Amino acid sequence: MKKTYLSFILFAVLFAACTDKFDDFNTDKKNPVIVEGNALFTSAQLSLADQISTPDFNYNIFKLWAQYWTPTINLEEANYDIQSRSVPDSTFKIYYLNVLEDLDEAARLITEETTDNQSEEINLQNRLYIIDLMMVYAYHHLVDIFGDIPYSESLDPEKVMPKYDDAFTIYQDLISMINTALTGLDDSEGSFGSADIIYGGDVAAWIKFGNSLKVKLGIIIADHDAGLAESAIESAVSGVFESNNDNALLYYLSSPPNSNPVYDMLILDGHQNLFVIANTIIDLMNGLGDPRREAYFTAVDTSTEWGIEKLAYVGGIYGETNAYDQYSHVSDPILEATFPGILLTYDEILFYLAEAAERGFSVGQTAEEYYNAAINASFEFWGISDVGSYLAKPAVAYATAQGNWNEKIGTQAYIAMYLRGLEGYTQWRRLDFPVFNIPPAIADYNEIPKRFTYPISEQWYNNENYTNAASAVGGDELTTRIFWDKN
Amino acid sequence: MKINGMVTSSDDGSPLPGATIAVKNTTISTLTDAQGKYVLDVPVDAKVLVFSFAGMKNQDITIEGRTVINIALVIESLSSGEEVITALGITRDKASLGYPLQEVAGQEINKVITDNFINSMSGKFAGVYVKPSDNIGGSTNIIIRGTRSFIGDNQAMFVVDGVPFDNSNTNKSAQIHGWNSFDYGNNAADINPYDIESVSVLRGAAATALYGSRATNGVVMIKTRKGSLMTGKKIGVNINSGVSFGVYDKSTFPAYQTQYGAGYGPVHSGGQYPGLEEYDLDGDGTDDLVVPFYVDGSMGEKFDPDLMVYQWESLYPESESYQQKTPWVAPENLPGTFFKTGVTFSNNIEIVGGGDRSTYRLSYTNFNQTGIMPNSYLKRNNFILTATNNLTKNLKVTASAHYINTRGKGRNSTGYGADNVLASFREWFQMNVDMKAQENIYNKTKRNLTWNPFAADYLEPCFWDNPYWVAYENYETDGRDRITGYVQADYKIASFLNLMGRASLDTYSNLQEERKAIGSLSGFFGVGRPDVGSGYSRFDQTFKEINIDFIANFNKELSENINLSALLGTNIRRLTDDRVFASTNGGLNIADVYALNVSTDPMLPPDEMYQQIGTNGFFGGVSLSFFNMIFLDATYRMDQSSTLPYENRNCFYPSLSGSFMFSELLDASWLRYGKIRLNYAEVGNGGQWGYLRDIYVAAPPFDMNPVVSGSDIKRISDLKEERTKSLEAGLEMNMFEDRIRLDATVYQATTTDQIFPFEVSFATGYTIRLLNAGEMVNRGVEASLTGVPVRISDFEWDITINWTSNINEVKKLYGDIQNQWFAWYQGGVAFCARVGEPFGNIQGNDFVYHENGQPIVKPNGYYQKSSEWDKSIGDMNPDWIGGINNAFRYKDVSLSFLIDIQKGGDIYSADLWYGLASGLYEETAGLNDLGNPVRDPVLQNSDGTYDQASGGLIYDGVKADGTKNTVRIPGNDIRAFGYVGNPMGRYVYDASFVKLRELVLTYSLPGALMEKTFITNVSISLIGSNLWIIHKNLPHADPEAGYGAGNFQGFQCGVMPAVRNFGISVNLQF
Repeated sequence: MKKTYLSFILFAVLFAACTDKFDDFNTDKKNPVIVEGNALFTSAQLSLADQISTPDFNYNIFKLWAQYWTPTINLEEANYDIQSRSVPDSTFKIYYLNVLEDLDEAARLITEETTDNQSEEINLQNRLYIIDLMMVYAYHHLVDIFGDIPYSESLDPEKVMPKYDDAFTIYQDLISMINTALTGLDDSEGSFGSADIIYGGDVAAWIKFGNSLKVKLGIIIADHDAGLAESAIESAVSGVFESNNDNALLYYLSSPPNSNPVYDMLILDGHQNLFVIANTIIDLMNGLGDPRREAYFTAVDTSTEWGIEKLAYVGGIYGETNAYDQYSHVSDPILEATFPGILLTYDEILFYLAEAAERGFSVGQTAEEYYNAAINASFEFWGISDVGSYLAKPAVAYATAQGNWNEKIGTQAYIAMYLRGLEGYTQWRRLDFPVFNIPPAIADYNEIPKRFTYPISEQWYNNENYTNAASAVGGDELTTRIFWDKN
Repeated sequence: MKINGMVTSSDDGSPLPGATIAVKNTTISTLTDAQGKYVLDVPVDAKVLVFSFAGMKNQDITIEGRTVINIALVIESLSSGEEVITALGITRDKASLGYPLQEVAGQEINKVITDNFINSMSGKFAGVYVKPSDNIGGSTNIIIRGTRSFIGDNQAMFVVDGVPFDNSNTNKSAQIHGWNSFDYGNNAADINPYDIESVSVLRGAAATALYGSRATNGVVMIKTRKGSLMTGKKIGVNINSGVSFGVYDKSTFPAYQTQYGAGYGPVHSGGQYPGLEEYDLDGDGTDDLVVPFYVDGSMGEKFDPDLMVYQWESLYPESESYQQKTPWVAPENLPGTFFKTGVTFSNNIEIVGGGDRSTYRLSYTNFNQTGIMPNSYLKRNNFILTATNNLTKNLKVTASAHYINTRGKGRNSTGYGADNVLASFREWFQMNVDMKAQENIYNKTKRNLTWNPFAADYLEPCFWDNPYWVAYENYETDGRDRITGYVQADYKIASFLNLMGRASLDTYSNLQEERKAIGSLSGFFGVGRPDVGSGYSRFDQTFKEINIDFIANFNKELSENINLSALLGTNIRRLTDDRVFASTNGGLNIADVYALNVSTDPMLPPDEMYQQIGTNGFFGGVSLSFFNMIFLDATYRMDQSSTLPYENRNCFYPSLSGSFMFSELLDASWLRYGKIRLNYAEVGNGGQWGYLRDIYVAAPPFDMNPVVSGSDIKRISDLKEERTKSLEAGLEMNMFEDRIRLDATVYQATTTDQIFPFEVSFATGYTIRLLNAGEMVNRGVEASLTGVPVRISDFEWDITINWTSNINEVKKLYGDIQNQWFAWYQGGVAFCARVGEPFGNIQGNDFVYHENGQPIVKPNGYYQKSSEWDKSIGDMNPDWIGGINNAFRYKDVSLSFLIDIQKGGDIYSADLWYGLASGLYEETAGLNDLGNPVRDPVLQNSDGTYDQASGGLIYDGVKADGTKNTVRIPGNDIRAFGYVGNPMGRYVYDASFVKLRELVLTYSLPGALMEKTFITNVSISLIGSNLWIIHKNLPHADPEAGYGAGNFQGFQCGVMPAVRNFGISVNLQF
């Protein structure tokens, strides 16, 4: 009897003691737990390009705020209501989670790759520097949108309440990150290869990108710290983009989810009738007789007589209800699934250099030379010929165009940056040209907003740091200026 | 052979009506009549009769050839004899327990048959909070002693015959958060009420400690009916058959205003009828009055039979009034017409039998219900076979198999979205629309011809489909096939030592299919919830849980007055749960085919999950009793949980309880029995699967390059278990010869190291970091009072009162954080944990109050709303709940009814927040302070005063300077009554209610009538459930309606009305 009893218990205990499978139980069988850093890098590039490109007013409303496009019925965002669809929250989420965290994680995984081979070691270092350049790009966008942001304590799950850093301090650090990357990048070896869906791992191209980005950062802070701007630009000017072939573009594929977000929303999801082109850019380009209109927009028939077609470019009134049929729409090439996401282009850098020349920095050529080259590059990018007669127009020619250099360069850069909402909006905030239209709800804000307010989620989850940041930037208001926005 | 006689009480010699007389080890039995008399036909070989009566000691009487047996039963002494089943199925003398255990007989639970037997537990147990959802086949929330964890659903664990019975629900996250989806019910609803012998509830940690890491939320233990040993070859047959009819309770549905039709206000045209559009629709050269078709509110023009208006019926060629104007009047058929009478059939046949060594019970139940929603049903079949065999004198084997299939169709959609027609009926509708006309045109065309098209020349649905289209085209279907069963061996090694071994299985597969037909309004649907015009989705789940248990039981009298019992055991648990959710993408490319392969665009990757959980438990316990007066109990369990990391995997759960029978020391004749209890225990919660290791999320490759992103959730590799420490004290008394029984308990349970998803700043690179932090306390008082106020010869009145009050408090979150949002709902209202408040604090914006306590009204006459959205505006937890169960018996007739009470608790009503704004409810069309219709225009005199004939209303409140508000605002647009002009705090309502939950009238045919038949017992019952809401403070809805089981209950959006059920059932035994 006793024996039975004992063996019974023994059996039970033996059976129970097997816990070696428990670790396996915890392994997620349906999601990867071990991946290559390169795959995260690809994802970060795609997320960044998607965010820059998308016209979805839940995520990116700068095509509206730059007054390139205007909505037909959903008027909130064009009238600076960014809380109805929690746009600041989405912006934080995409930049920090989908871009920066994936870059950070990619860097961590790449650092863990070990190699004795020297060329592989160079390749590894190149990848880490390229990641740094991508991070600089993402962080400067966040600063330009919000001002002070979490930076030194960000991307650390141990710091669940990261403090905010001073925006200019961040810019200084970003410029030094570029410097370090440019020193370290070695184009004798490759990097990401095809996992880099912008440059295919071409290190020389990334070096040009780094220099160009430094010019951009330099020019943005020029009103705040001319010295740093000058040193940044002058140290970079010899290494910037040399043609449209150097542009940082992400060419989308023909089918979702890797197609252009403009195509996804307007064509695939059938929301084409949610937007028309804003009168701000159309009126400006009509005034200049700008031939790029045909690349940018469709024309509408404005004839009032039967049988007689009278095509014209007509912009919807910015921020008002607009009937879709009566106004110009986004042009067909831009609606292609494979239209690229645009990160940084040759014409953009040339406009910055023109401005640098006007500011007295030593950049090799005159403002007018850069101005003409920039417009030429823009025409070339959009496939429009006869730039000569355009540049000859008195309203365009650098010598005779209206206003001071801010207005001349500001106006042309704004036109050339079409589709790149944040860049166009930043250009306007810095140079105050062209003159923007005042939408109906402006009474609530006194002036056209100059930044995003912080995400509501920061008030909830990071309240103390949020409160400090709000007072540090001069109040968490839409009309508070970013440090570089001097007037 | 017939035996007759009389049964009386030894106490006072009074006859005992309804006492049971049975032939031992058979199913042959009868009841005494009102005079305590009986006649029983017994087989010739019968030897012993068993006499039993509630509250009296059973007596076995040997027949010895007698034909007349009279007997006086003795009142049962409760200090011995009442045996109850405790954790792990261990049978104990109730008097020896150091914790409360409440058991309710199966016939109390299956008196009223509903789709979910848990509904029938409401009000019948102390400490148990049961909330039916009103959804068709919906999930019932069952919480014991309050919410303990920030995560999960805190639902009680279900154990059937010692075997865990899964009660998870598979409602999608969107559904739980109040968006448009379906409530698929909770899985314990699979248990067939006719199979239940008894239900008992283990409430506190001391009672459940032997379940270790699964014990946190309390345990509902169900004992199923079994066969019994018989000497003859007889079988017993028991048939239950019932039908009931359900109609919606009008007090839980909007009381509509019927004076004004479609419109958002006097804004649709500039003429005499600004609530209507005015243009030349028919092309005859003169302007016509036209309904603003796109509008889904009723702040429009006043009805006037002389006004001829183009309404939706004029738009469709299939309509009788195509291209015709119709009078502007309230319709004959309001939205309530949409509901049908639900019909429920339940049929059960049970065969019990056995021999001298074996018993068996076979039962089949068919439940078939059509809901009040058109095109809806719920069907369930339960087959169960349980058999035992005494292989030898010492070895008994038991096997049980249970097959359940459930089929559902057309469950009501819940939450905010166009597929939930209730959201339209309660929030957004045109009061000029005749529901019958919508039905007729759908039936005629089978197309989505809606009352709410964009415009006369663009007939696509604007915000809402034709509700009949939704019911008949966009319905869901679901099914679950489940098998549970066990084999068990009990081996009696010696008189003092028993061994039990058991292996059990609970497995099911679920399929849930959702449809959106081509032609529907586009909406969020399927994987990732994109906005699509049509679609099909399917959710497939395979679940399996295996438990293996070994328990050794030791029981010995150490001396005359000291008894020792002990147990030692192990439990091995393995669970796998495999889920796939897949849907079409970008719509369906073939109409009326609901399959993944008609997806317009390539399908998005399905959501897949495969979880495995293992627990190894080892436990032991010792019980000592001294002089039947002092009882001590100690248990200890160790669990190894796979959900925890290696170093934290072994968790230990002690419990210590004691009770003292003080009545043994007193010489008080009125006190038959008195006991105090005290216990302390710790139980745990090992968290959920997949919390330990970070994962990545793969996306479709980009041009052959893999695309992988980090997860939004930062997992926690050094997770510890969540732990609940509980202390409780209780008192049990039985007074005045069994006439009054009281069982009262006070307790405090503190849960620490909460495992919860902490929402963090996005700048961390994550949205959620899983954490071990936080502390929550539940304190409460529970009492059950059972009494027999009247017991005279033919009449008896029994009453049971259960009362529970649980106070929850969040003591600590993480670090210095004082407030954490856990769930957001439509309208921006949030359910939160705020330190110092109960979990389930409802937050949103509120009035801004002047220092004089009055809400401040802005100069424009509308309320100032707080700019903060974290104002505490409510608390979902009730102050107390109670149930009063009365049973009256007069001769062969018995009447019982249950009154269920909830005091306190708050509900945020998105239905009223929107529906008052859109002008659907009667409150929006009354008279104002001047006695004029509130919707009449505001007439202001030149001096700023208002004309005596003015409409409009003045908000209660003060100006910024504290003086009374006098600004009159218009009552005829969407700003006045709802969300536009008012803060969320205004739409929080008290959830208190008093309900007549059950009413049952039963007539048992006198035994004499059946003497000559093979039938032994017949009873017929008239049954009503949810007949009457005696009192409630929430207008237009049932305070219990919601979206289903889960942690957050105080939110209503597009909820169903309550259903009143009337039925009849018949029970036959032979």
